[in-house]
Amino acid sequence: MTTQSQPKPHKPAPEILTALKGWKTHSGFWLKAAVAIGLTSGLLLIVQAWLLANVVNAVVFAEASLADVMPSLWGLLALFLLRAGLAWASEQAAFHAAVQVKLAIRAQLYQKVQQLGSAWLTGERSGDLLNTLSDGVEALEAYYARYIPAMSLMALVPLAILVFVLANDWLSAVVMLVTAPLIPLFMILIGKGTEKRNQQQWQQLARMSAHFLDVIQGLTTLKLFNASRSEAQVVAQISDQYRQSTMSVLRVAFLSSFALEFFATVSIAIIAVLIGFRLFWGEMDFLYGFFVLLLAPEFYLPLRNMGTQYHARMAAIGAAEKMVEVLNTPNSPHPSLPPQGGKEQDVHPSSVLLPSPLAGEGLGMGGMFGVTISNISFTYPDARTALSNLSLDIHPNETLAIVGASGAGKTTLINLLMGFLQPQSGQILIGDTPLTAIAPEIWRKHLAWLPQKPQLFPGTVADNIRLGNPTATLTQVQAAAEQAYAAEFIVKLPQGYDTLIGEAGQGLSGGQVQRIALARAFLKDAPLVILDEATANLDRASETLVQAGVERLAQGRTLVMIAHRLRTVQTADRIVVLDQGTVSAIGTHAELLESSPLYQQMQAAYGGEA
Amino acid sequence: MNDLLRLLRLFKPYWNWAALGMGLSFITLLANVGLMAVSGWFITAMAMAGVAGASMNYFTPAALIRLAAIVRTAGRYGERLVTHEATFRMLAELRVWFYERIEPLAPAVLEQYRSGDVLSRIRADIDTLNNVYLRLLVPVVVAALATLVFVVVLLFYHPLLALLELSLLLVAGVLIPWLMNRLGHEAGQQSVETAAQLRSVLVSDLQGMGELLVYGAADDHAAHVQQLSQTLAAQQQTLSRLNGVAQGALGLCANLAMWGMLVLAIPLVRDHTIAPPELAMLALFALASFEAVLPLPLAFQSLGETLAAARRIFSLADQAAAVSEPAHPLPVPERLDFALRDVGFRYQPQGDAVLNGLTLDFPQGHKLAIVGVTGAGKSTLTSLLLRFREPTSGELLLGGQAIAHYSGEALRQHIAVVPQQTHLFNTTLRENLLLAKRDATDAELEAVCDTALIHDFITQQPGGYATWVGETGVRLSGGQAKRVAIARALLKPARLLILDEPTEGLDPETATQVMVNILAHVARNGQSLLLITHRAHGLEAMDQVLHLS
Repeated sequence: MTTQSQPKPHKPAPEILTALKGWKTHSGFWLKAAVAIGLTSGLLLIVQAWLLANVVNAVVFAEASLADVMPSLWGLLALFLLRAGLAWASEQAAFHAAVQVKLAIRAQLYQKVQQLGSAWLTGERSGDLLNTLSDGVEALEAYYARYIPAMSLMALVPLAILVFVLANDWLSAVVMLVTAPLIPLFMILIGKGTEKRNQQQWQQLARMSAHFLDVIQGLTTLKLFNASRSEAQVVAQISDQYRQSTMSVLRVAFLSSFALEFFATVSIAIIAVLIGFRLFWGEMDFLYGFFVLLLAPEFYLPLRNMGTQYHARMAAIGAAEKMVEVLNTPNSPHPSLPPQGGKEQDVHPSSVLLPSPLAGEGLGMGGMFGVTISNISFTYPDARTALSNLSLDIHPNETLAIVGASGAGKTTLINLLMGFLQPQSGQILIGDTPLTAIAPEIWRKHLAWLPQKPQLFPGTVADNIRLGNPTATLTQVQAAAEQAYAAEFIVKLPQGYDTLIGEAGQGLSGGQVQRIALARAFLKDAPLVILDEATANLDRASETLVQAGVERLAQGRTLVMIAHRLRTVQTADRIVVLDQGTVSAIGTHAELLESSPLYQQMQAAYGGEA
Repeated sequence: MNDLLRLLRLFKPYWNWAALGMGLSFITLLANVGLMAVSGWFITAMAMAGVAGASMNYFTPAALIRLAAIVRTAGRYGERLVTHEATFRMLAELRVWFYERIEPLAPAVLEQYRSGDVLSRIRADIDTLNNVYLRLLVPVVVAALATLVFVVVLLFYHPLLALLELSLLLVAGVLIPWLMNRLGHEAGQQSVETAAQLRSVLVSDLQGMGELLVYGAADDHAAHVQQLSQTLAAQQQTLSRLNGVAQGALGLCANLAMWGMLVLAIPLVRDHTIAPPELAMLALFALASFEAVLPLPLAFQSLGETLAAARRIFSLADQAAAVSEPAHPLPVPERLDFALRDVGFRYQPQGDAVLNGLTLDFPQGHKLAIVGVTGAGKSTLTSLLLRFREPTSGELLLGGQAIAHYSGEALRQHIAVVPQQTHLFNTTLRENLLLAKRDATDAELEAVCDTALIHDFITQQPGGYATWVGETGVRLSGGQAKRVAIARALLKPARLLILDEPTEGLDPETATQVMVNILAHVARNGQSLLLITHRAHGLEAMDQVLHLS
């Protein structure tokens, strides 16, 4: 099997660079402080060179003794200490600058993900996002802590040095003036061509690494097809191809740093030789000559540092790409969606507290409400139509099962109902109030949700049950667990309700996780419960308990569930059969068996499972 | 340290490259120090000659300066090319070595490493080991050699100068990195832990975002993330402080070396032990020589990481395979007639038995279903038949002979499997399918995809069978991936087809149809069928149903 990288065009988009620049504001004054400290240190360096030149000059040409130059030497020592302190301080300032940006961007991203909601946050996205939010944000540090200060210092420090050199030796200043712009110029000339290829190379490295991981993950599969031994050659071959292509790029890419080194080093040599001859001919004083020679390497140093910060820029651009993509995703237009009908024209976003029956403060309200879905259509951004002109009434207090083939629109429908998606046309009425006129957080106070695979969060079992009601007492938590048939196994856990739950509920069975999630719903006590029935491999005993818990939860509440099992379908008050985004039939189990051919087909398929 | 030596031995074929890279790096460093030192000497000597009106040979030093400049520049370029070339060669070597070591371990030993995190740790470890040459070996060797040369050069002038240089180089290159590493150890570990904690909170938050929003807990969790983020920042700050101290101290050492050189050398100039131009030379020499130890703090830091990574990689690679292959394997018989006699299996010698006293005949052409809940040993039985594992008690016979007489690879050639957790490779759909039969025709591919009810979906994709799956291409849903895996298994010319929960993730209608098609395929090709399921339906067509509990 050959797993070649798929070519993918790539360019660092200007909006990413703009965004990176814009995020600088989060760093406050720290970035400026880092640059200011760096500049101060650069200026002190000039003083240091002057003192040093004086000392050597005095010893060599004025026959000065150690005691004579000791005052200058003490001054030098003080400067060294001061500059060491400044190096420390500039590191601190740069770190603070980067941390502020990291904290702000992570918070922004997290908040944005919240706004985009769970319908947007599909499985593969969450993997990508996880990397962006953790490692990606960390990758910004080097950019703000190193690259940006280095950029500013590259302009400032050489300029300051140039001024002093000019005052002492115009010829050396001319050499610097001529060669310094050549360095960035050549870097740009060579860099422009290689940057793109360089970036592709980085991607290829990531892909090669991914390929290796892919092979290791698929080792069992390879082995099942007796292809695992030959794959070693593929690994070798791909690594070798990568080496050759990378080296051909690097040969050119390193030219830019070659050019930089070349100009810097040769310039220093030229300056040294020119000064040497003028000293020899008596056209120049040693003091000034030596001073300029000491400054020459420092003039080129910031320019050379630029080259080493290049990776930081690349990494930051790579990470920022995903961030910009997320931050620029438009939110669902809620609740300022342009009203579809006429009568809600007067609803202002501020009047989110509802007229009856939802006017009561969330939990305390006992009133049930119906939901009227009329003519809604929904098309995903990839042009896949999920729902077209679907209408459906959900009666207060009923248990409504939704069935249909995969792709029939079941998940889209409940996402619309929970406000994670907005229909392109049609409307959803809660009682008499359009859902668009209710702030999502108010609406969600009336909802409980049990997804197919409920998520447990790091924390104790009790914390997890309290998710929707953080102030609930232990007694209330226990009561909810009792109702969800969860109490029995929870008390057997090592620390009972205080047992810490590992990542993704390690150590708990699928059925136990389901029952904790059920307890969550009991504790929240919301009038409308939305449930996506688990299809996971539950053991029989657990499945029975979950089922019983759901039935208990349905009492006195409206329950809308995506049903996968025959038993739950049969006990529902009504069953909606979805087909290609529309309601194909509604009725009780018995009615549908009579009237709906599609339902009959499904029953035949479900059939064996009974 | 043994691990490090072992790693170096692994790179033996590339020692020439490695040595060349170090040599170039060393010469480049010397050229730079030489450039500074000779320049200082040159202009002082020129100035003195100018003042005295004497003549001097300026051709040699001027030529030396130019030579040093060119050697430095060209040397740097060559060094970077050679060290990268060496790194890439070692990288290929390391990956192939690692792959060849773990290939026999799959899947039995690797199962304990199934989770994605562990796998990515392996990947990170391999990447860390790739850096061992560039980040650890080159700087350390070059710094050691350079220190030696510097000290010897200074001994020609005065032992005290050499002693000063040596002690400050040691402080900057060894003491400071060591001290910082020690002081930063705790904060470093804490920050790694906090980062892991942040990551795990983010995992559950992102996966459970819908629940957080519906249950109104999103803001609390956002605050928690922010708080962890701040804790991490505080721990990183400790490290950054130390780093700042290290940087300042390193620069200070270089400056102190120059300062000390002046203090020691000025009296020597006065008593004519050394010539005046040598004062300037020594000062600049001392300053420039500290370039040798600049990369050492990083090298020190990567030493710990490298050793830890090497330890983990070697301990994994050194595990014994779960199954030993026979020295003289029997040819696999025409008919795969399996017989289990009182077969038992336990993962740990003291652990619970997963299989216990299983006796069963499974002749060629039979359709056997195994039904049972999770953990009842269904998948273990598959592993035994595939010779991925060996029974811990009882006998598993193939054609009347103990299965241990056959080579696992030869046996697996005749068995096609759809495992419960399927893996599609990050390549085209066609390549994924061709894994089962290299020379399959398009018609064959389409036929099996039709049987698995995935052909229509594939043809709807923009690239058809050339569509990429995985990270670089289309992402398949669990059900689609499963059907591709079924098609792949059907394509393999096998005598036994093993299906582990084949319809998991499919909607009931599709599941029923796929099963009907599979049964027809099996009947057409005279294959045996082993169906593993936790559902009790669709079993009418089976010859035997075995309930495991």
